[in-house]
Amino acid sequence: MIPTAERPLRVASIGDFAREVEVESGAKLPACLQCAKCTSGCAVAARADIKPHEMVRLVQLGARDEVLSSRMIWECTSCETCATRCPQGVSVAAMIDALRRLSLAAGKTNARTDVPTFNGIFLATVKQTGRVYEVGLMAAFKLRTRSFARDVGKVPAMLFKRKLALLPSFVKGRGERQRLFRRAGR
Amino acid sequence: MTYVFFPGCSLDSTAKDYYLSTLAVARALKLDLPELPDWTCCGSTPAHQSSELLSLALPAKDLLAASGNTVAVACAACYSRLKTANHSITSDASVRGEVADVLGADYDGSTPVKHLLEIIRDDLGYAALAKRVTKPLKGLRVAAYYGCLLVRPPEVTCFDDPENPRVLDDVLEAVGAETLDWPHKTECCGASYSITNPEIVWLLSREVLAMASDAGADCIATACPLCQLNLDMRQRDIEARYGERFGLPVLYFTQLLGIAFGLAPSELGLRRLMVDARPLLAKKGLLAESATAAVAR
Repeated sequence: MIPTAERPLRVASIGDFAREVEVESGAKLPACLQCAKCTSGCAVAARADIKPHEMVRLVQLGARDEVLSSRMIWECTSCETCATRCPQGVSVAAMIDALRRLSLAAGKTNARTDVPTFNGIFLATVKQTGRVYEVGLMAAFKLRTRSFARDVGKVPAMLFKRKLALLPSFVKGRGERQRLFRRAGR
Repeated sequence: MTYVFFPGCSLDSTAKDYYLSTLAVARALKLDLPELPDWTCCGSTPAHQSSELLSLALPAKDLLAASGNTVAVACAACYSRLKTANHSITSDASVRGEVADVLGADYDGSTPVKHLLEIIRDDLGYAALAKRVTKPLKGLRVAAYYGCLLVRPPEVTCFDDPENPRVLDDVLEAVGAETLDWPHKTECCGASYSITNPEIVWLLSREVLAMASDAGADCIATACPLCQLNLDMRQRDIEARYGERFGLPVLYFTQLLGIAFGLAPSELGLRRLMVDARPLLAKKGLLAESATAAVAR
Protein backbone atom coordinates (compact mmCIF):
# COMPACT_ATOMS: atom_id res chain seq x y z
CA MET A 1 0.00 0.00 0.00
CA ILE A 2 2.80 2.42 0.93
CA PRO A 3 5.97 1.45 -0.95
CA THR A 4 8.94 0.90 1.34
CA ALA A 5 11.21 2.91 -0.93
CA GLU A 6 9.14 6.02 -0.38
CA ARG A 7 8.66 5.62 3.34
CA PRO A 8 11.30 3.42 4.96
CA LEU A 9 10.40 1.75 8.24
CA ARG A 10 11.45 3.95 11.13
CA VAL A 11 9.36 2.89 14.04
CA ALA A 12 11.54 4.83 16.48
CA SER A 13 10.09 8.12 15.26
CA ILE A 14 6.39 7.62 14.81
CA GLY A 15 3.95 9.80 12.98
CA ASP A 16 1.07 11.90 14.23
CA PHE A 17 -1.63 9.26 13.92
CA ALA A 18 0.44 6.60 15.67
CA ARG A 19 1.19 9.08 18.46
CA GLU A 20 -2.51 9.94 18.78
CA VAL A 21 -3.36 6.22 19.11
CA GLU A 22 -0.55 5.73 21.63
CA VAL A 23 -1.81 8.57 23.80
CA GLU A 24 -5.42 7.39 23.63
CA SER A 25 -4.55 3.73 24.33
CA GLY A 26 -1.30 3.68 26.30
CA ALA A 27 -0.13 0.84 24.02
CA LYS A 28 3.61 0.85 23.24
CA LEU A 29 3.21 0.54 19.47
CA PRO A 30 6.87 1.03 18.41
CA ALA A 31 7.80 -2.13 20.35
CA CYS A 32 5.86 -4.39 17.95
CA LEU A 33 8.06 -6.97 16.18
CA GLN A 34 5.36 -8.15 13.74
CA CYS A 35 5.68 -11.69 15.11
CA ALA A 36 1.88 -12.10 14.71
CA LYS A 37 1.44 -13.97 17.97
CA CYS A 38 -1.55 -11.67 18.59
CA THR A 39 -3.17 -12.82 15.36
CA SER A 40 -2.42 -16.50 16.05
CA GLY A 41 -4.48 -16.42 19.25
CA CYS A 42 -7.16 -13.99 18.07
CA ALA A 43 -10.71 -15.36 18.30
CA VAL A 44 -11.92 -13.45 15.24
CA ALA A 45 -8.78 -13.11 13.08
CA ALA A 46 -10.02 -15.69 10.58
CA ARG A 47 -12.90 -13.40 9.55
CA ALA A 48 -11.13 -10.07 10.04
CA ASP A 49 -10.66 -7.50 7.26
CA ILE A 50 -7.50 -6.34 9.07
CA LYS A 51 -5.77 -8.80 11.39
CA PRO A 52 -4.37 -7.59 14.73
CA HIS A 53 -0.66 -7.48 13.76
CA GLU A 54 -1.59 -5.79 10.48
CA MET A 55 -3.61 -3.25 12.43
CA VAL A 56 -0.56 -2.32 14.51
CA ARG A 57 1.52 -1.91 11.37
CA LEU A 58 -1.09 0.21 9.60
CA VAL A 59 -1.33 2.49 12.63
CA GLN A 60 2.47 2.85 12.65
CA LEU A 61 2.33 3.77 8.97
CA GLY A 62 -0.40 6.32 9.53
CA ALA A 63 -3.11 4.58 7.48
CA ARG A 64 -5.78 6.47 9.43
CA ASP A 65 -8.85 5.98 7.25
CA GLU A 66 -8.31 2.26 6.55
CA VAL A 67 -7.96 1.54 10.24
CA LEU A 68 -10.76 3.77 11.57
CA SER A 69 -13.30 2.52 9.03
CA SER A 70 -12.34 -1.16 9.34
CA ARG A 71 -14.84 -3.85 10.25
CA MET A 72 -12.34 -5.47 12.63
CA ILE A 73 -12.47 -2.79 15.30
CA TRP A 74 -16.18 -3.62 15.77
CA GLU A 75 -15.68 -7.40 15.61
CA CYS A 76 -12.83 -7.64 18.15
CA THR A 77 -14.39 -9.21 21.27
CA SER A 78 -11.95 -7.50 23.69
CA CYS A 79 -10.95 -10.95 24.95
CA GLU A 80 -7.44 -9.56 25.65
CA THR A 81 -5.65 -12.72 24.46
CA CYS A 82 -3.45 -10.62 22.11
CA ALA A 83 -2.29 -8.32 24.91
CA THR A 84 -1.75 -11.20 27.33
CA ARG A 85 0.47 -13.13 24.91
CA CYS A 86 2.43 -10.30 23.24
CA PRO A 87 6.14 -10.92 23.92
CA GLN A 88 6.79 -7.18 23.64
CA GLY A 89 4.03 -6.10 26.01
CA VAL A 90 2.04 -4.25 23.35
CA SER A 91 -1.58 -3.96 24.44
CA VAL A 92 -3.19 -4.60 21.09
CA ALA A 93 -6.64 -4.82 22.70
CA ALA A 94 -6.23 -1.35 24.25
CA MET A 95 -5.13 -0.07 20.84
CA ILE A 96 -8.28 -1.46 19.21
CA ASP A 97 -10.44 0.03 21.95
CA ALA A 98 -8.79 3.42 21.33
CA LEU A 99 -9.37 3.03 17.57
CA ARG A 100 -13.09 2.53 18.23
CA ARG A 101 -13.27 5.78 20.17
CA LEU A 102 -11.26 7.65 17.51
CA SER A 103 -13.45 6.12 14.80
CA LEU A 104 -16.60 7.38 16.55
CA ALA A 105 -15.10 10.83 17.06
CA ALA A 106 -14.06 11.02 13.40
CA GLY A 107 -17.43 9.75 12.15
CA LYS A 108 -15.66 6.95 10.26
CA THR A 109 -17.44 3.89 11.66
CA ASN A 110 -17.87 0.98 9.26
CA ALA A 111 -21.35 0.93 7.74
CA ARG A 112 -21.79 -2.78 8.46
CA THR A 113 -21.71 -2.57 12.23
CA ASP A 114 -24.63 -2.01 14.64
CA VAL A 115 -22.38 -1.87 17.69
CA PRO A 116 -22.21 1.94 18.07
CA THR A 117 -26.03 2.13 17.89
CA PHE A 118 -26.30 -0.52 20.61
CA ASN A 119 -23.69 1.24 22.74
CA GLY A 120 -25.50 4.56 22.45
CA ILE A 121 -28.81 3.09 23.62
CA PHE A 122 -27.08 1.18 26.42
CA LEU A 123 -25.32 4.26 27.80
CA ALA A 124 -28.42 6.45 27.48
CA THR A 125 -30.31 3.87 29.57
CA VAL A 126 -27.63 3.86 32.26
CA LYS A 127 -27.60 7.67 32.27
CA GLN A 128 -31.39 7.77 32.77
CA THR A 129 -32.01 4.89 35.14
CA GLY A 130 -28.60 3.95 36.56
CA ARG A 131 -28.81 0.36 35.32
CA VAL A 132 -29.36 -1.55 32.12
CA TYR A 133 -32.93 -2.58 31.51
CA GLU A 134 -32.61 -5.43 29.05
CA VAL A 135 -36.17 -5.54 27.67
CA GLY A 136 -36.13 -1.82 26.87
CA LEU A 137 -32.58 -2.05 25.53
CA MET A 138 -33.42 -4.87 23.13
CA ALA A 139 -36.67 -3.26 21.97
CA ALA A 140 -34.97 0.08 21.30
CA PHE A 141 -32.06 -1.60 19.52
CA LYS A 142 -34.38 -3.64 17.31
CA LEU A 143 -36.42 -0.55 16.46
CA ARG A 144 -33.34 1.41 15.47
CA THR A 145 -31.73 -1.38 13.45
CA ARG A 146 -35.00 -2.87 12.11
CA SER A 147 -33.91 -6.34 13.19
CA PHE A 148 -37.17 -7.50 14.76
CA ALA A 149 -37.12 -10.98 13.33
CA ARG A 150 -33.78 -11.87 14.86
CA ASP A 151 -34.25 -13.53 18.27
CA VAL A 152 -37.94 -12.74 18.52
CA GLY A 153 -38.55 -16.48 18.87
CA LYS A 154 -36.62 -16.45 22.14
CA VAL A 155 -38.78 -13.94 23.95
CA PRO A 156 -41.60 -16.29 25.08
CA ALA A 157 -39.13 -18.83 26.50
CA MET A 158 -37.10 -16.09 28.18
CA LEU A 159 -40.23 -14.67 29.76
CA PHE A 160 -41.33 -18.13 30.83
CA LYS A 161 -37.94 -18.78 32.37
CA ARG A 162 -38.18 -15.33 33.99
CA LYS A 163 -34.93 -14.34 32.38
CA LEU A 164 -36.27 -10.93 31.38
CA ALA A 165 -37.35 -8.52 34.08
CA LEU A 166 -40.64 -6.91 33.11
CA LEU A 167 -40.02 -3.58 34.78
CA PRO A 168 -36.96 -1.36 34.74
CA SER A 169 -35.28 -0.42 37.99
CA PHE A 170 -34.51 3.19 38.77
CA VAL A 171 -31.54 4.00 40.94
CA LYS A 172 -31.75 7.22 42.89
CA GLY A 173 -29.29 10.06 42.30
CA ARG A 174 -30.34 10.82 38.75
CA GLY A 175 -29.13 14.42 38.79
CA GLU A 176 -25.72 13.40 40.10
CA ARG A 177 -25.52 10.64 37.49
CA GLN A 178 -26.36 12.98 34.65
CA ARG A 179 -23.67 15.40 35.86
CA LEU A 180 -21.19 12.52 35.84
CA PHE A 181 -22.06 11.65 32.24
CA ARG A 182 -21.95 15.30 31.17
CA ARG A 183 -18.54 15.89 32.74
CA ALA A 184 -17.28 12.73 31.02
CA GLY A 185 -18.38 14.31 27.73
CA ARG A 186 -21.52 12.21 27.20
CA MET B 1 -13.19 -9.07 56.38
CA THR B 2 -16.49 -7.42 55.50
CA TYR B 3 -17.95 -7.54 52.02
CA VAL B 4 -20.49 -5.58 50.06
CA PHE B 5 -22.06 -7.41 47.15
CA PHE B 6 -22.11 -5.80 43.70
CA PRO B 7 -24.54 -7.94 41.65
CA GLY B 8 -24.51 -5.92 38.41
CA CYS B 9 -27.30 -5.56 35.84
CA SER B 10 -27.24 -9.10 34.42
CA LEU B 11 -27.87 -10.63 37.84
CA ASP B 12 -30.97 -8.44 38.02
CA SER B 13 -32.43 -10.05 34.90
CA THR B 14 -31.01 -12.68 32.52
CA ALA B 15 -28.79 -14.09 35.26
CA LYS B 16 -31.33 -14.04 38.07
CA ASP B 17 -30.41 -17.70 38.68
CA TYR B 18 -26.79 -16.65 39.32
CA TYR B 19 -28.08 -14.07 41.81
CA LEU B 20 -30.34 -16.53 43.64
CA SER B 21 -27.74 -19.29 43.78
CA THR B 22 -24.97 -16.91 44.92
CA LEU B 23 -27.04 -15.71 47.86
CA ALA B 24 -28.23 -19.24 48.72
CA VAL B 25 -24.66 -20.56 48.73
CA ALA B 26 -23.43 -17.56 50.73
CA ARG B 27 -26.11 -18.23 53.36
CA ALA B 28 -25.08 -21.89 53.52
CA LEU B 29 -21.46 -20.84 54.03
CA LYS B 30 -22.40 -18.15 56.57
CA LEU B 31 -20.86 -15.55 54.29
CA ASP B 32 -22.50 -12.19 54.84
CA LEU B 33 -23.10 -10.45 51.48
CA PRO B 34 -25.15 -7.27 51.97
CA GLU B 35 -25.87 -5.56 48.65
CA LEU B 36 -24.15 -2.25 47.90
CA PRO B 37 -27.04 0.24 48.18
CA ASP B 38 -28.01 2.12 44.99
CA TRP B 39 -25.22 0.63 42.91
CA THR B 40 -24.88 1.89 39.34
CA CYS B 41 -24.08 -0.11 36.19
CA CYS B 42 -20.31 -0.56 35.66
CA GLY B 43 -20.65 0.70 32.07
CA SER B 44 -19.61 -2.69 30.69
CA THR B 45 -18.35 -2.94 27.09
CA PRO B 46 -20.34 0.04 25.71
CA ALA B 47 -18.57 2.45 28.08
CA HIS B 48 -15.00 1.37 27.35
CA GLN B 49 -15.70 1.31 23.62
CA SER B 50 -17.08 4.85 23.75
CA SER B 51 -15.28 6.88 26.43
CA GLU B 52 -12.37 5.79 28.57
CA LEU B 53 -13.12 8.42 31.20
CA LEU B 54 -16.75 7.31 31.56
CA SER B 55 -15.62 3.66 31.71
CA LEU B 56 -13.45 4.52 34.74
CA ALA B 57 -15.79 7.00 36.44
CA LEU B 58 -18.81 4.66 36.57
CA PRO B 59 -17.00 1.87 38.49
CA ALA B 60 -15.17 4.46 40.60
CA LYS B 61 -18.53 5.82 41.77
CA ASP B 62 -19.50 2.37 43.08
CA LEU B 63 -16.08 1.65 44.55
CA LEU B 64 -16.13 4.95 46.43
CA ALA B 65 -19.61 4.14 47.76
CA ALA B 66 -18.29 0.84 49.17
CA SER B 67 -16.39 2.93 51.77
CA GLY B 68 -13.44 0.63 52.12
CA ASN B 69 -15.31 -2.67 52.36
CA THR B 70 -14.26 -5.42 49.99
CA VAL B 71 -16.51 -5.42 46.93
CA ALA B 72 -17.66 -8.97 46.19
CA VAL B 73 -18.49 -9.51 42.51
CA ALA B 74 -20.17 -12.42 40.71
CA CYS B 75 -20.20 -11.12 37.12
CA ALA B 76 -16.90 -11.45 35.26
CA ALA B 77 -17.59 -8.32 33.18
CA CYS B 78 -18.31 -6.12 36.23
CA TYR B 79 -15.25 -7.64 37.89
CA SER B 80 -13.11 -6.66 34.92
CA ARG B 81 -14.41 -3.07 34.82
CA LEU B 82 -14.02 -2.55 38.59
CA LYS B 83 -10.48 -3.98 38.58
CA THR B 84 -9.54 -1.93 35.52
CA ALA B 85 -10.73 1.27 37.22
CA ASN B 86 -8.61 0.51 40.28
CA HIS B 87 -5.61 -0.34 38.12
CA SER B 88 -5.82 2.80 35.96
CA ILE B 89 -6.49 5.13 38.88
CA THR B 90 -3.62 3.79 41.03
CA SER B 91 -1.08 3.65 38.21
CA ASP B 92 -1.63 7.13 36.76
CA ALA B 93 -2.09 10.25 38.91
CA SER B 94 -3.47 12.27 36.00
CA VAL B 95 -6.18 9.63 35.42
CA ARG B 96 -7.05 9.80 39.12
CA GLY B 97 -7.39 13.57 38.79
CA GLU B 98 -9.62 13.37 35.70
CA VAL B 99 -11.87 10.76 37.34
CA ALA B 100 -12.11 12.98 40.44
CA ASP B 101 -13.25 15.89 38.26
CA VAL B 102 -15.99 13.76 36.71
CA LEU B 103 -17.08 12.23 40.04
CA GLY B 104 -16.85 15.44 42.02
CA ALA B 105 -14.90 13.45 44.65
CA ASP B 106 -11.43 11.95 44.83
CA TYR B 107 -11.20 8.15 44.70
CA ASP B 108 -7.73 6.69 45.33
CA GLY B 109 -8.32 3.27 43.75
CA SER B 110 -7.86 1.34 47.00
CA THR B 111 -11.24 -0.41 47.47
CA PRO B 112 -10.50 -4.15 47.24
CA VAL B 113 -12.43 -6.05 44.55
CA LYS B 114 -12.81 -9.83 44.75
CA HIS B 115 -14.66 -12.33 42.63
CA LEU B 116 -16.67 -14.97 44.54
CA LEU B 117 -14.15 -17.61 43.42
CA GLU B 118 -11.31 -15.60 44.97
CA ILE B 119 -13.28 -15.19 48.20
CA ILE B 120 -13.71 -18.96 48.37
CA ARG B 121 -10.07 -19.68 47.52
CA ASP B 122 -8.38 -16.95 49.58
CA ASP B 123 -10.73 -16.10 52.45
CA LEU B 124 -12.97 -19.11 53.16
CA GLY B 125 -10.74 -21.94 51.97
CA TYR B 126 -11.74 -25.10 50.12
CA ALA B 127 -12.10 -27.02 53.41
CA ALA B 128 -15.07 -24.80 54.31
CA LEU B 129 -16.80 -26.00 51.12
CA ALA B 130 -16.04 -29.66 51.72
CA LYS B 131 -17.43 -29.41 55.26
CA ARG B 132 -20.82 -28.22 53.97
CA VAL B 133 -21.26 -30.96 51.33
CA THR B 134 -24.19 -33.32 51.79
CA LYS B 135 -24.43 -34.57 48.19
CA PRO B 136 -20.94 -34.87 46.67
CA LEU B 137 -21.06 -34.29 42.89
CA LYS B 138 -19.59 -37.74 42.40
CA GLY B 139 -19.45 -38.97 38.82
CA LEU B 140 -20.35 -35.55 37.39
CA ARG B 141 -17.86 -34.63 34.66
CA VAL B 142 -17.65 -30.84 34.51
CA ALA B 143 -15.82 -28.63 32.02
CA ALA B 144 -14.76 -25.59 34.07
CA TYR B 145 -15.08 -22.63 31.73
CA TYR B 146 -13.41 -19.36 32.76
CA GLY B 147 -13.82 -17.26 29.62
CA CYS B 148 -11.85 -14.04 29.19
CA LEU B 149 -12.50 -11.35 31.70
CA LEU B 150 -11.58 -13.09 34.94
CA VAL B 151 -8.14 -14.08 33.77
CA ARG B 152 -7.15 -11.30 31.35
CA PRO B 153 -5.34 -8.99 31.31
CA PRO B 154 -3.46 -10.77 34.12
CA GLU B 155 -1.64 -7.63 35.34
CA VAL B 156 -5.05 -6.05 35.98
CA THR B 157 -7.08 -8.96 37.36
CA CYS B 158 -4.28 -10.92 39.15
CA PHE B 159 -6.84 -13.74 39.26
CA ASP B 160 -5.07 -16.96 38.30
CA ASP B 161 -2.80 -18.39 35.60
CA PRO B 162 -4.16 -16.74 32.40
CA GLU B 163 -3.48 -19.79 30.21
CA ASN B 164 -4.43 -22.61 32.56
CA PRO B 165 -6.43 -21.30 35.53
CA ARG B 166 -7.31 -23.75 38.33
CA VAL B 167 -9.54 -22.00 40.85
CA LEU B 168 -12.88 -23.02 39.37
CA ASP B 169 -11.62 -26.60 38.91
CA ASP B 170 -10.44 -26.66 42.53
CA VAL B 171 -13.75 -25.31 43.84
CA LEU B 172 -15.71 -27.97 41.92
CA GLU B 173 -13.34 -30.75 42.97
CA ALA B 174 -13.71 -29.66 46.60
CA VAL B 175 -17.40 -30.62 46.36
CA GLY B 176 -16.72 -33.93 44.65
CA ALA B 177 -17.04 -33.16 40.92
CA GLU B 178 -14.65 -34.51 38.33
CA THR B 179 -13.18 -31.63 36.29
CA LEU B 180 -11.77 -32.08 32.83
CA ASP B 181 -8.48 -31.25 31.21
CA TRP B 182 -9.69 -29.42 28.11
CA PRO B 183 -8.22 -26.76 25.86
CA HIS B 184 -10.96 -24.11 25.78
CA LYS B 185 -10.99 -23.00 29.44
CA THR B 186 -10.15 -19.41 28.54
CA GLU B 187 -11.29 -19.10 24.92
CA CYS B 188 -13.83 -16.37 24.14
CA CYS B 189 -17.57 -17.11 23.76
CA GLY B 190 -18.24 -14.01 21.64
CA ALA B 191 -19.23 -12.02 24.68
CA SER B 192 -21.13 -8.80 24.17
CA TYR B 193 -21.83 -9.44 20.47
CA SER B 194 -24.72 -11.64 21.56
CA ILE B 195 -27.22 -9.03 20.35
CA THR B 196 -25.30 -6.94 17.82
CA ASN B 197 -23.44 -9.66 15.90
CA PRO B 198 -24.71 -13.14 16.86
CA GLU B 199 -22.72 -14.71 14.01
CA ILE B 200 -19.55 -14.19 16.04
CA VAL B 201 -21.21 -15.77 19.07
CA TRP B 202 -22.39 -18.79 17.05
CA LEU B 203 -18.89 -19.33 15.74
CA LEU B 204 -17.00 -18.96 19.01
CA SER B 205 -19.51 -20.54 21.37
CA ARG B 206 -19.76 -23.53 19.05
CA GLU B 207 -16.02 -24.11 19.47
CA VAL B 208 -16.39 -24.06 23.26
CA LEU B 209 -19.38 -26.42 23.24
CA ALA B 210 -17.71 -28.82 20.79
CA MET B 211 -14.48 -28.93 22.81
CA ALA B 212 -16.33 -29.57 26.08
CA SER B 213 -18.40 -32.25 24.40
CA ASP B 214 -15.34 -33.94 22.87
CA ALA B 215 -13.63 -33.92 26.27
CA GLY B 216 -16.56 -35.95 27.62
CA ALA B 217 -18.26 -33.25 29.69
CA ASP B 218 -21.70 -33.86 31.23
CA CYS B 219 -22.08 -30.12 31.70
CA ILE B 220 -20.20 -26.81 31.66
CA ALA B 221 -19.65 -24.62 34.73
CA THR B 222 -19.33 -20.85 34.30
CA ALA B 223 -18.67 -17.83 36.50
CA CYS B 224 -19.88 -15.22 34.00
CA PRO B 225 -23.45 -14.26 32.97
CA LEU B 226 -22.44 -13.47 29.38
CA CYS B 227 -20.67 -16.81 28.90
CA GLN B 228 -23.65 -18.61 30.41
CA LEU B 229 -26.14 -16.75 28.20
CA ASN B 230 -24.19 -17.39 25.01
CA LEU B 231 -23.52 -21.07 25.65
CA ASP B 232 -26.99 -21.83 27.03
CA MET B 233 -29.49 -19.58 25.23
CA ARG B 234 -27.69 -19.77 21.88
CA GLN B 235 -27.04 -23.52 22.08
CA ARG B 236 -30.12 -24.52 20.11
CA ASP B 237 -29.35 -21.96 17.35
CA ILE B 238 -25.82 -23.30 17.17
CA GLU B 239 -26.99 -26.91 16.96
CA ALA B 240 -29.40 -26.01 14.15
CA ARG B 241 -26.84 -23.95 12.28
CA TYR B 242 -24.03 -26.49 12.38
CA GLY B 243 -26.13 -29.65 12.35
CA GLU B 244 -24.67 -30.88 15.62
CA ARG B 245 -26.20 -32.00 18.88
CA PHE B 246 -24.64 -31.00 22.19
CA GLY B 247 -27.44 -30.92 24.76
CA LEU B 248 -24.94 -29.63 27.31
CA PRO B 249 -26.38 -27.93 30.39
CA VAL B 250 -24.44 -24.77 31.27
CA LEU B 251 -24.65 -24.02 34.99
CA TYR B 252 -23.30 -21.29 37.20
CA PHE B 253 -20.71 -22.77 39.57
CA THR B 254 -22.87 -21.47 42.43
CA GLN B 255 -25.74 -23.68 41.25
CA LEU B 256 -23.43 -26.71 41.34
CA LEU B 257 -22.21 -25.76 44.83
CA GLY B 258 -25.83 -25.42 45.96
CA ILE B 259 -26.65 -28.88 44.66
CA ALA B 260 -23.66 -30.34 46.53
CA PHE B 261 -24.87 -28.54 49.66
CA GLY B 262 -28.28 -30.20 49.26
CA LEU B 263 -30.14 -26.93 48.60
CA ALA B 264 -33.49 -27.06 46.81
CA PRO B 265 -33.47 -26.53 43.00
CA SER B 266 -35.90 -23.63 43.48
CA GLU B 267 -33.38 -21.79 45.68
CA LEU B 268 -30.84 -22.12 42.88
CA GLY B 269 -33.05 -20.99 39.98
CA LEU B 270 -32.42 -24.29 38.17
CA ARG B 271 -35.61 -24.10 36.11
CA ARG B 272 -34.39 -20.91 34.47
CA LEU B 273 -31.71 -22.70 32.46
CA MET B 274 -32.63 -23.00 28.77
CA VAL B 275 -30.89 -26.39 28.42
CA ASP B 276 -32.51 -28.16 31.36
CA ALA B 277 -29.92 -29.53 33.80
CA ARG B 278 -32.44 -31.44 35.93
CA PRO B 279 -32.55 -34.68 33.85
CA LEU B 280 -28.73 -34.91 34.08
CA LEU B 281 -28.73 -34.21 37.81
CA ALA B 282 -31.54 -36.71 38.39
CA LYS B 283 -29.64 -39.36 36.42
CA LYS B 284 -26.59 -38.80 38.62
CA GLY B 285 -28.74 -39.01 41.75
CA LEU B 286 -28.04 -35.40 42.64
CA LEU B 287 -31.57 -34.04 42.94
CA ALA B 288 -33.79 -34.40 45.98
CA GLU B 289 -36.37 -37.22 45.45
CA SER B 290 -39.31 -34.83 45.10
CA ALA B 291 -37.47 -32.88 42.42
CA THR B 292 -36.46 -36.07 40.62
CA ALA B 293 -40.08 -37.16 40.52
CA ALA B 294 -41.05 -33.78 39.06
CA VAL B 295 -38.52 -34.24 36.24
CA ALA B 296 -39.88 -37.72 35.51
CA ARG B 297 -43.41 -36.27 35.14
